[in-house]
Amino acid sequence: MRTRIVVMAGILVLSSLMYASLARADGPSGKKDTTSVSVARTYDVDAMRLQGELRYRSNCGRCHAAPRKFPPRMMATVLRHMRVRATITDEDMRLVLFYMTQ
Amino acid sequence: MQCWWRQAVLCRSQRAVLPSRVVLFLFLCFAFASFTTHLAVAQSPEPDEKPVPILTGTAGTFSFVTAGQQQLNAQINPVLLLPLGEHWLIESRAEFQGVFQRPPGGGPYGGPVGKNLDYAQADYIANPYLTVDLGRYLTPFGIFNERLYPIWIRSLQQDPLILPLSSESSDGMMLRGGFPANDKANLTYAIYVSAISTSHNNLQSERNVGGRMSVFLPGPRLEIGASWQKLLQDARANAFGFHFAWLVPKLPLNMHGEYARSNQGSGYWVDGAYRLSQLHFWQKAMRRTEFAGRAEQFFSGSISSGEALALGLPGANTREGELGVNYYLQDGLKVVGSYGRQFSPAGNMNLWSAGIAYRFLIPLGRAQ
Repeated sequence: MRTRIVVMAGILVLSSLMYASLARADGPSGKKDTTSVSVARTYDVDAMRLQGELRYRSNCGRCHAAPRKFPPRMMATVLRHMRVRATITDEDMRLVLFYMTQ
Repeated sequence: MQCWWRQAVLCRSQRAVLPSRVVLFLFLCFAFASFTTHLAVAQSPEPDEKPVPILTGTAGTFSFVTAGQQQLNAQINPVLLLPLGEHWLIESRAEFQGVFQRPPGGGPYGGPVGKNLDYAQADYIANPYLTVDLGRYLTPFGIFNERLYPIWIRSLQQDPLILPLSSESSDGMMLRGGFPANDKANLTYAIYVSAISTSHNNLQSERNVGGRMSVFLPGPRLEIGASWQKLLQDARANAFGFHFAWLVPKLPLNMHGEYARSNQGSGYWVDGAYRLSQLHFWQKAMRRTEFAGRAEQFFSGSISSGEALALGLPGANTREGELGVNYYLQDGLKVVGSYGRQFSPAGNMNLWSAGIAYRFLIPLGRAQ
């Protein structure tokens, strides 16, 4: 009985997560949000690059020697991996990715 | 790593029914996911660059001399990163390791080649504050197991003495994420529940729940945190620990440390790696050179000496100090060497190591 409850609860969690994120991706106006737009409202390009470098050094360097830059699509994968592995914040990930793909 | 899993898991009872606290955990997951999703407004999961699948990992070969007995170690640890759409990442790491040494009476080197699945997980990035992991994952207890374990990252190649105090991999579900608390501090968290698994040697897991919370201060570049784990089988023992990581501002010095305690024992380690990039002579060579050191201590717990050895822990109270040099030939390729001394009632000994570690990164598609 308990196992069934657990399975049902797990399915409920997953389905609600997927629904929530899909609804959020569509946005209230039905358009997809773009990170570059939302971030660029806050920072201009130079400031983003500077912030990206600062966060690159403080986040990446905490565990390992700072790696060199890789092509943009590889950096996007690496940063997604590091976001999970090192629990870096969403904002830090975006700024580091911006810096590493310049 | 293998034998203590086998021993620990086989001697524990197997119950087929999950406890009510697991149901409670899942309910809290649901509530938490809903809450953070409402907090996350006007954020898309990733910038414009479309990620490409990557095969990465490490390879290395080392010679360890412990109390005069040489052991050759060759290993390759491939990591597959497979991003799917904007929200998913499938990731996996395997470990293939050969450990070779001469038999006591002399003769050619020989030994086992082990293989292990460290993690194979699906990550769902639900929103900027929450990622849901399903599958086999590295247990987030302290920082060494999850973040410092790869041979190209660790500054000294010997494992810390207290590493076996917590599960290295778990099979189950985890919620994790990070968010800025204010301009001066980021908070990160991870909570997980795992099920017992004895079906396959490479997928063994214990039934436990646990979590980790840490604060990162970007100004002083200091992270401090705490971990907790409760075993939901047999002794139902608790384990807890603390950790720090400090990238010293204005100095090329990187420090880490952990403390852990459970019924199996307790102990700590502190290490530091100093890059000689600030020296004004032989700069080309100096900026590639790193000195590393570690001090650590282990205190025996309530288990017997034999049980401790089976788990990979020292059989008695132990102190150890180690100094090493790393030379980076290029990004991701380094030559390492170290000397350490271990003090224990069971006998003092010297620990030597030398070797080479390499990190590779191969795109499985168009990278530009």
